[in-house]
Amino acid sequence: YPLFQRGGPQLRIFRPNFFMLAVRPGVPQPEDTVQFRVSMEMTKLDIRNYLERIYNVPVAAVRTRIQYGANNKRNHRNQRVKKPDYKVAYVQLGQGQTFQFPNLFPEKEQDSETRSFDDFRDKYMEKEKQKQEGDPRRGGVPDWFGL
Amino acid sequence: MAALGARRLLRPGQRCFSETVPGAPSPPASPVYPPVVASITAKSKAAKSQRLQRFNQRVHAAATVEEKLRLYGKLQRPKYTVYPQTFALNADRWYRSFTKTVLVPGMPPRAAAAKPPIAAAGTTPEAGRAPEPGAEAPRAAQAPGAEEVSKTPESMAGAAPYLDMGELRSLACDALLQESFFQNKKRPFLYRDQDHTPGPFLTQLVSTLAAFLAGLNPLLAASSLDLNPEVNYYWHHGEEVVVHGHRKGRVDPVRFQINDNPRLQIRVPKQLPEVVPLESDLGDVPVIEHKPSKLPLFKKQYENKVFIGSKVADPCCYGHTQFHLLPDKLKRERFIRERLEDQIEVVYRSNGIASLFAWTAAQAMYQGFWSEADVTRPFVSQAVVTDGKYFAFFCYQLNTLALTAETIKNNPRKNICWGTDSKPLYDIVEDGNVKGFNDEVLLQLVRFLLNRPKEL
Repeated sequence: YPLFQRGGPQLRIFRPNFFMLAVRPGVPQPEDTVQFRVSMEMTKLDIRNYLERIYNVPVAAVRTRIQYGANNKRNHRNQRVKKPDYKVAYVQLGQGQTFQFPNLFPEKEQDSETRSFDDFRDKYMEKEKQKQEGDPRRGGVPDWFGL
Repeated sequence: MAALGARRLLRPGQRCFSETVPGAPSPPASPVYPPVVASITAKSKAAKSQRLQRFNQRVHAAATVEEKLRLYGKLQRPKYTVYPQTFALNADRWYRSFTKTVLVPGMPPRAAAAKPPIAAAGTTPEAGRAPEPGAEAPRAAQAPGAEEVSKTPESMAGAAPYLDMGELRSLACDALLQESFFQNKKRPFLYRDQDHTPGPFLTQLVSTLAAFLAGLNPLLAASSLDLNPEVNYYWHHGEEVVVHGHRKGRVDPVRFQINDNPRLQIRVPKQLPEVVPLESDLGDVPVIEHKPSKLPLFKKQYENKVFIGSKVADPCCYGHTQFHLLPDKLKRERFIRERLEDQIEVVYRSNGIASLFAWTAAQAMYQGFWSEADVTRPFVSQAVVTDGKYFAFFCYQLNTLALTAETIKNNPRKNICWGTDSKPLYDIVEDGNVKGFNDEVLLQLVRFLLNRPKEL
């Protein structure tokens, strides 16, 4: 960012090139806290203004930390492969709002068609497997084995 | 060899008796072998509980209070530092869950009933003010001729007014005007607003009021006024599993430490009377399942100190009133600018609860109580939290110190904190006049200072 000197214009960013990714917290967070992965260059003020101006989300407090990506994995040439660093922001919502990260992969209720299709498919696979196997009286021994 | 051959070979099943006749065995006076208990050094839960029990016995058996405190805070481990003056959102709910405190809005009922009556005089100070030392209960019927100088007696019908509001108001206004108007001060440095005017005003106000009311309250005459003292307390509450490090996977108690610096503090040799009985239940304690680090609260390892403002041997070992000044970071204007108006009161409440819990619990530890030896009488203290203009009053009763994971299981007692909202003492200071002076706030302050045990 350009350096601010007294008397100069306030920095204004229109159409920022930042992206914020809401993620599911790894450890349980309080109800009013949302966890984001943000660009490394964003500051707490940036995050607050971004959410308030663009998305109209009331923000009470923002805390950030930088997660160091490990450099221990090795590729096929024994060179170290680094996982990228990223900044995590914990945003506490104002006006008593709460947020719960949604379940993105819910169990779908199967209707009768898909259920019967699944049963048919399972039975067919069973029949195919039994055809592949030999005589059960031979105890798993292949049929080319013998006198 | 001959001796060997002389001894008859024993067949299996036979026993070789010695020379002495086996009579009835005498009952042993004390057990010959030590009691069979779990080992101390094994890596098992029984061994851990055995070590804890031995530690508890050592602390119980300590001769002096200093020795008890030394053993209590001997083991240093990373602990959460709890700051009474914090900008964290909804901190008072978290602090109430850490200290098992119930928050009751308003002042305790005794503050309204058994206080000495105050004359609601006009702005002219009365000349014939008659202080009556020692008398505290309001007298029912008073001869009206005795107080020819009083204009309008207070709510107690016909009681004797012996406290002059005008005098007190003039004291307060003098202190305020001296600090903000008459004294020529330069502009305050950045973020030093509170040390510039409200700090000296508070100190001056409290010292003059305490000296003025010492004639009415003999407890104040024997009290000790500390300037910028230190109050520390260390305690365990709840359990957690260690996450990183060589102790990973072990179950540890969650440790907390409060290091507080109130602006002023009054310590007295006699304890304030209890407000409600020890086992009373006035509300619910909030239960928060998240870890304290989500507040946010951070861990550090340093000395586990328990201190009330003076060492154990000091005769003024009980607390009376604390006065806290909020720092510049927690100004009202800042919260309003960030649209967090509901957090203004949270700041006052969290400061009152945390500071008073630390002070009363440290007083209880100075008397020899701790989490395994719970208090037998409640410890009561008061506090005034202010930012120079707005005053909030708190009264705390400590009923229990047992907050560790084992001792909290069968403990129905809760600590109680009464607290008011913040009210302004004055509206504005202009041209040598204090506009909009609020008598209620001054009255409450005076009531706080006049609080004393029944027998005095």
